[in-house]
Amino acid sequence: MAIQTDGMVLKNRKIKSIYFLLEIDCPSIANETKPGQFVMLNTSDDHHPLLRRPFSIYKSYSILHPRRGKRGHFLILYKKVGKGTQKMSTFKEGQKVNLIGPLGNGFILPPLPSSTATILIGGGVGMASLSALGEVLGSGKLYVFIGGKTKDDILCEDDFPKGKVFIATEDGSRGKKGTVVDLFLLEIERFDRGLPHHVYICGPEGMVKSLSKVLKSKKWIVQVSLEARMGCGFGACWGCVVKTKNTEMVYQRVCKDGPVFPLSEIVWE
Amino acid sequence: MMMKIVPPLDLSVCIGKLELKNPVIAASGTFGYGQEFENFIDLSQLGAIIPKGISLKPMPGNPPPRIFETNGGILNSIGLQNPGFQAFINEKLPYFKKIKTNLIINFFGKTQKEYVELSRRLDDLPGVSGLEMNISCPNVKQGGIIFGSDPRMTHRLVSEVRRSIKRPLIVKLSPNVTDITVIARSAEEGGADAVSLVNTFRAIAINIHSKKPELGNIIGGLSGPAIKPIALRMVWEVFQAVKIPVIGMGGIMKAEDAIEFILAGASAIQIGTANLIHPGSAIDVIDGITQYLIKNKMSRIQKLIGLFKA
Repeated sequence: MAIQTDGMVLKNRKIKSIYFLLEIDCPSIANETKPGQFVMLNTSDDHHPLLRRPFSIYKSYSILHPRRGKRGHFLILYKKVGKGTQKMSTFKEGQKVNLIGPLGNGFILPPLPSSTATILIGGGVGMASLSALGEVLGSGKLYVFIGGKTKDDILCEDDFPKGKVFIATEDGSRGKKGTVVDLFLLEIERFDRGLPHHVYICGPEGMVKSLSKVLKSKKWIVQVSLEARMGCGFGACWGCVVKTKNTEMVYQRVCKDGPVFPLSEIVWE
Repeated sequence: MMMKIVPPLDLSVCIGKLELKNPVIAASGTFGYGQEFENFIDLSQLGAIIPKGISLKPMPGNPPPRIFETNGGILNSIGLQNPGFQAFINEKLPYFKKIKTNLIINFFGKTQKEYVELSRRLDDLPGVSGLEMNISCPNVKQGGIIFGSDPRMTHRLVSEVRRSIKRPLIVKLSPNVTDITVIARSAEEGGADAVSLVNTFRAIAINIHSKKPELGNIIGGLSGPAIKPIALRMVWEVFQAVKIPVIGMGGIMKAEDAIEFILAGASAIQIGTANLIHPGSAIDVIDGITQYLIKNKMSRIQKLIGLFKA
């Protein structure tokens, strides 16, 4: 159940170029979250910026403290791009931060044990929710494809078992030169065509759209976690919709009905 | 020693025949169907709740992107997405049975006939305290803006709907007119029990890199603190122009904002954009108003209405 609560900044540091890692002490959210869920974070008390910002919950830790009882903290991986994340980058240790979460439906996990492969494909900060998912998947038949424009945009690779990670950069500064979708296409033959593999996607819209074309003909089970500009994050404003094949409701809310959707449900315009 | 007698605070206000326990109303379009807020607040504490507007038939709404933040404001073009009357009464209305506050239904139609038909059906529903007729959505052609920008059409529509229903009728006005007092008077003459204002201001934002609009619908409605001073001026003007109660809204983020609107003549106020950011905003505003009354040694909020010394 989502709640509104104050968390406390434990750490806030740049990891590379414009990517930051924010660690927040907040047991009530950290202990309740599932991979693929997010929080709405208030970056400012003076309405600049006005709206909260949505962030995937990257890693979460529950700790049973001998004296303080059940504790918990979680991490947000963010990219300093606009007014909100600019403000966040100035958050200091010990500072209070108001949160609403955990929000949205997380990923549906693949059945275990399974003979099928689990394939994660992501780019930029989209890797945060995939990493949270990877944490609960175990290393069985896991394959991870990470993309970015340059080597600085390759995130979370160390969160996965070595030898399972495939990297592509558009400028060729890390891994294979090209997009992560190009790289995935090169490797696609390694996955048995007859099996219903599980694919999880999170990243920029262009990447998701190309993957939607690539995977269309396959009978794989593909889930995508969508990014969207959000108003409230908890289903009240209908600002963050995506067009879907749902006949009852053409436009569904990314925040409440998602952010994870079956890829085949999305109608790209 | 003399005991100081503190009279109980009376926050109740009247919107025509409709009595609210306090003047704070959750505005349509920013409060979902109430249930979205149950994790965060006790909904029964509100003066009234106005769920997202409904039409006779379901409406898909506008293509995304539907929301864009500007300085101190939000531009939205949701486009009145709603499941339609039937789904509303089947799926959304039952929830309000256990909520101990006034339920005001916001509605709109494409034609006068549709407005009348829908208002009749809503009037018959149990548990509904009043109706708010939207003649002011800036985002869709069928959202009533045609009715809300012409005084004669406003008058005709309001009188037709008024004749068809028994419950209190609030008419929600658009600020996108030359003189909002003219429309307000037409609504009053047509038989409205109250007017609520303002809806959002028609506005656009341009992405300078793609040179395209930031909203899928190109034009959206601006809300939030950026519009508050204009909304406040309009509420004050309308308060002087009509005798019926005025419900004020537009960028109210905190109790101080709400008190300004009440001083300007609003009998009640609606919280909109603020709900999205702090789901407990309306409750905070009620608490803040209470504190203000105590501090100013006032026992009744009604005495504050229109006290603006201009």
